Amino acid sequence: MNENLLHLTDVSKSFGDVHAIEHVSLNIQNKSVVGLVGGNGAGKTTLLRMMAGIYKPTKGRVHLKDGKNVDEMRSVLGVVPESTGLYSKLTAWENIRFHSRIHGIDDSIAWSRTLRFAELLDIQDSLHRYTEGFSRGMRQKTALLRALAHGPSILLLDEPTAGLDVTSARIVRKLVQKLKDEGGTVIYSTHHLAEAEQVCDRIIIVHNGTIRADGTPEELLQLTDTNSLEEAYVSLTSEVARPRQEDTITPSKFALLWRRLFTRSHRYEVNEDE
Amino acid sequence: MSKIRFAQMRIVAKKEIMEFVRDWRTIVALILVPLMLFPLLFIAFPLVMQNEAEELQELNVEILVQSDYIDEDILQGLNQSNISISIVSLPPGLDSLSDPLNDSSLLRSYEYDAILRLEQRNETWFYSVLFLSTSEQSTEARNRVLDALNTWETNETIERIEAGGLDADSTLNPLRWDGIISDADVATKGEQAGMLLSLFIPFVLALWTASAAVQPAIDMTVGERERGTLESLLSLPLSRSELLMGKWLAVVTITGVGVALQVTGLLFGIAFLAEDLVNVPSISIASVLLLTLAVGLYGTMIVALYLALAMRSKSVKEAGTVLTPITLAMIVPILLTQFINLDDVESFWFAIPFVNVLLALRELLLDRVILEHVIIWISVSIFVSFLTIRYAAKQFSREDIVTSRS
Repeated sequence: MNENLLHLTDVSKSFGDVHAIEHVSLNIQNKSVVGLVGGNGAGKTTLLRMMAGIYKPTKGRVHLKDGKNVDEMRSVLGVVPESTGLYSKLTAWENIRFHSRIHGIDDSIAWSRTLRFAELLDIQDSLHRYTEGFSRGMRQKTALLRALAHGPSILLLDEPTAGLDVTSARIVRKLVQKLKDEGGTVIYSTHHLAEAEQVCDRIIIVHNGTIRADGTPEELLQLTDTNSLEEAYVSLTSEVARPRQEDTITPSKFALLWRRLFTRSHRYEVNEDE
Repeated sequence: MSKIRFAQMRIVAKKEIMEFVRDWRTIVALILVPLMLFPLLFIAFPLVMQNEAEELQELNVEILVQSDYIDEDILQGLNQSNISISIVSLPPGLDSLSDPLNDSSLLRSYEYDAILRLEQRNETWFYSVLFLSTSEQSTEARNRVLDALNTWETNETIERIEAGGLDADSTLNPLRWDGIISDADVATKGEQAGMLLSLFIPFVLALWTASAAVQPAIDMTVGERERGTLESLLSLPLSRSELLMGKWLAVVTITGVGVALQVTGLLFGIAFLAEDLVNVPSISIASVLLLTLAVGLYGTMIVALYLALAMRSKSVKEAGTVLTPITLAMIVPILLTQFINLDDVESFWFAIPFVNVLLALRELLLDRVILEHVIIWISVSIFVSFLTIRYAAKQFSREDIVTSRS
């Protein structure tokens, strides 16, 4: 029987005057793959970071089924950020071991879990190599192994196939499918609708910090009265997307003034005849 | 600050150190350079100085003597000092013998290394030596001329005293030290060494600690953010305080190893290579322990401050721009403490952060454990350490540390 694992209750997140996420309420059930779909700056990463306990909501609450706040129970989560976040001077296994040790997992248990998934991802021969020379695909696979080594209940993946070649992306999707088959819960952020349709059994459309739709692909088509997910997405997100919010750093007044002192404004005359 | 689990802190510190040490350049900077620096200096310095002195002694210098009459003994003295002499008359129109007139061009063109002017007025000889102080050869020529003149003056004085029927020795030295001067110093060799070292050990310790902590502090904070590894770290069941303390422990360990190796190199150099110049200081166990505590507290403050400022920075470049002048500014309290007289030092000095630890280092190297001072500097330093760690914890708790701001 499916039960709710993670709850977001009327969650908002602001960075200064910027409202990155507004009034989001969600329940994530176990044994499901949930896709967060949206364009750049939609708020997917902010939402994932709140689910991971990295950001605290400005309003509302992110909590687990037992009522505990997520930042108190991070051991139930496995997180793969978009940047993968591997230490280049450590081997793949050392990266994985560092995380599993922080999770309080014995090295031998982490190793056996790692080996099991490494075979699926076809990376078992590279576990003792430094990650410095790893391709984007290898890095992504290592980050996945690292997130799985402590046996999390929920796996949070931020753009897991971004920048991967076709084969690597396929392997990652197969792993997600396998995790789902084994009863795992995956929250999968992507801006590829086709991928979301292929992997996820529930799709949440995020646009400009709000949830525009939430349901199975069939439900989204019904809701928008369209024939394809792409059309459904366009009809749900018709207004112009805003720029990325959380990365917008406003320099101080003095810094701006100083910068202007050393900035020349160039104006060129344009010859219409040319 | 939230509860800190030592196990989590240790795992973070171990990872940071492992990553840091795997860079071979770090090993060279952290182990080889500190360990070899002072022994090399102690070997190279005397060798270079000795060679230079020998070269200078073998040097033949050109002197122009301007005089209307020269005593034969003066000339003889000059000739014994590897000096080539040309003699001309004194130039006309001199206000004093030290007035260069047009003769400066002879020195600037290196035609002569020095010009000796001599004039006898009644029973007294007047002289001056024109030279170019920016030329080592000219300075050497001046010194040789002065040596020769001094020898001549001594002989002339003795001759004149004896001609007057007096005993030259008792007339020239009516008051004299009996015995060996150094025997009269009741300070032991070890105490004297402590005094000498107290003038520069605090300087080098403070500067090493401050400079050695810069790079790891930047690398483990804003460096980690720039490399994109911080987000996955923050998603772990690890509090920000544990993360800070783990990184703090790693930077303190790396800095401590670097400083300890430099001190080892320094003491090795003193004990085996410069034993004629400096003895190993003799200090009590209590002083050694307090010295270690003083360096530890200083390191705690510096590292926490650096971690906080580096974490505040938007990029590695900005962190470098902020921390480099702070490291250089450390020279101010360091130099200040060199001029404070420890015999009647007021207690308030021990309440000034950073200055107090440096003063404490000086006192302890002299093996002076003054309870009042010790209580003040330990209390103040612990309080300031607490404040700096709090400040660092505040920076680590900021949500925007995860965002790449470069």
